[in-house]
Amino acid sequence: MVGAMEIYKLLPTDACKECGYSSCMALAVALLNREKKLEDCPALLNPKYADKFKKLKELLAPLEKASETGLIIHPEKCFGCGNCVVACPVNVAAEPTRCGIGLGPQGDRVILAVEDGVVKCMNVKECRRFGPNKVMCNACTVTCPSKAIEFV
Amino acid sequence: MAVCTGCSLLCEDIELTLKTGAISQVKNLCRKGHGHFQALFTERIVPKIDGQEVSVDQAITKAVDILRNAKHPLLYGWSNSALEAQRVGIDLGKKLGATIDDTSSFCQGILMELVLTGKLPTCTLDDVRNFADTSVFWGADPSNSHPRLLSRFAYYPRGSKRQKSYEEERNCLVVDVRKSATAKLCSNYFRVPPGGDADFIASVIDVLDGKIPKYGDKKRMIELGTILRKTEYGVIFPGVGLVYALQDKIELLKTLVAKLNEITTFKVVPMVEHYNMRGFNQLLLDDSGSINRVSFHSGQVTHGPENSIMAAAKICDAALVIGSDPLSSLPFGTAKSLAGVSLIAIDPRRSLTTDAAQVVIPSAMYGLEAGGSAIRMDGVRIEFEPIVKSDLLSDEQILARIKEEI
Amino acid sequence: MQVVVTVVTFRDIFQNEAEKKSRYSEDYRKLSAQITLDKQDMAGLGVKDGQNVLVKNDVGSVVVAVKASEDDSHPGLAFMVNSPWSNQLVRDDVCETNIPGFKGISAQVSPSGESVTQISELFQRMKAQGA
Repeated sequence: MVGAMEIYKLLPTDACKECGYSSCMALAVALLNREKKLEDCPALLNPKYADKFKKLKELLAPLEKASETGLIIHPEKCFGCGNCVVACPVNVAAEPTRCGIGLGPQGDRVILAVEDGVVKCMNVKECRRFGPNKVMCNACTVTCPSKAIEFV
Repeated sequence: MAVCTGCSLLCEDIELTLKTGAISQVKNLCRKGHGHFQALFTERIVPKIDGQEVSVDQAITKAVDILRNAKHPLLYGWSNSALEAQRVGIDLGKKLGATIDDTSSFCQGILMELVLTGKLPTCTLDDVRNFADTSVFWGADPSNSHPRLLSRFAYYPRGSKRQKSYEEERNCLVVDVRKSATAKLCSNYFRVPPGGDADFIASVIDVLDGKIPKYGDKKRMIELGTILRKTEYGVIFPGVGLVYALQDKIELLKTLVAKLNEITTFKVVPMVEHYNMRGFNQLLLDDSGSINRVSFHSGQVTHGPENSIMAAAKICDAALVIGSDPLSSLPFGTAKSLAGVSLIAIDPRRSLTTDAAQVVIPSAMYGLEAGGSAIRMDGVRIEFEPIVKSDLLSDEQILARIKEEI
Repeated sequence: MQVVVTVVTFRDIFQNEAEKKSRYSEDYRKLSAQITLDKQDMAGLGVKDGQNVLVKNDVGSVVVAVKASEDDSHPGLAFMVNSPWSNQLVRDDVCETNIPGFKGISAQVSPSGESVTQISELFQRMKAQGA
């Protein structure tokens, strides 16, 4: 996945503070967390940075597909094994007698479920990574055999 | 709810939505199972004799003709048929004086024999989920072969005695020549060189005996010994990788398991590939005293390697292959031998074997178009109902008609 | 140029899925007719990821595509998914247990300018009798 340092290297690094942050590194982190957009950096819109702007656009493109919690699913890599479905603490709490013991969910309160052979994400607001009090839970990514599920 | 017959886990929590006969959405099927369900709609076949389309009745009559005139008929396949069809198949074998063998002959057979005859302790997958704190995948990569084994039973679910599951209470060990998808997930991965499994077992026994291991990284072997000693309820899942590596030294596994059981509880569940291989092995064992490689020639029951598919393919003069594609899955020499005999293929779908067959009889897909029952990899019997309507005959019906006409 | 390798077969869920859809598909051929080689062996052969190689032994031969291994270094060890292509190389005159050696196939690998062997070609070889 893309890191803040990679983004930083492509920024003007002139510390103009026009974006509202005190350093370009802080902006890089904000871009990674999708709290700011590239257009929020006025210097970057200067034609002399056109190349870097284009590269940054490409670099940040996968992030746009991510959910509000930064979750990205690559269905083409997914085995449909359901490891994430069973490991997710929210799924287990929602359906202790299904997901808790290894079965697929029946209700619609879960975050992750396997449909048509691949995992799908729903109810993203229930994820422990959602909102200001988020917990850096990674139960779904560490149990994936094929890196089909990632957080940005 | 439907049952998936895509592998020997026989997952029973499959929910599907049907729209005008087609499957519009399926929940809980893994990628492999999804492929299996989609197989309903591709490469379906019609009855044929010598490449010409005929009626099912004509194809069955021709099959009867071939089998009746054969001196050494071979009946092969079986692991993708329901128990009810296997039962008729074994009776047909007796009636014909045929050689009968299944896919276990070239994969899990020698191991399954030890399990079914009580020479290796075993348990159910539900026991694994409820009690196991150590699962060992040896020469097996369930993430690819049995995709839901880790999530349903062996590593990630919560069990009655394992509420903290993989986070705190379960180990998952992988012993393999290759850093497989499962090896990347497990808690401890041990690499063995090809064919090095016997030496690895010797080293594990050494560390369990408190000796310095002869083979492998000493520190890691001692680490492994410690995990095994601390285990309360362990399960070894041997895959074909281990079976192929050990072959006639399979007794070594028995020795290791006996040694482990002096210290704690350890069970063995073979990684059966096809959904009802174990069912066939159990039926044939109950009937003939052997799990596979049986001959009913001249009314005598004999068993041994001479009746294996590998050997029988070379001496049979006719073969009935059911629910299997040996031309794809067996070594070239065996495939070539089978391609040269009068071949009858009973299969829902086109394969190299149906392409080579003199007689092709299409069958219904079990679990999708036909109901029945099967034995899961751990010995639990699972029943299934058809989920779509079909006019196709089931394996059981086809075999019953062949048997009747003979 | 040639390297001698031990081929170990394995299972792959994507190849299995392709097989369930059709044994005669391009997908199935692509996912089956390939050999995973160590980078050192690839350098020795002067082949890159995706190039074709001839894999042969005294049982048979196939042209398959090279896939660069992502595993830790394993020169001399190669992997092929279980398929009619790998089975072209498996002996059937086996020891008394009569279990073929799917997991330790000795074979020579060399660069090839030919296209990947088609399943129809494999089928013709099986049907050709008395050869």
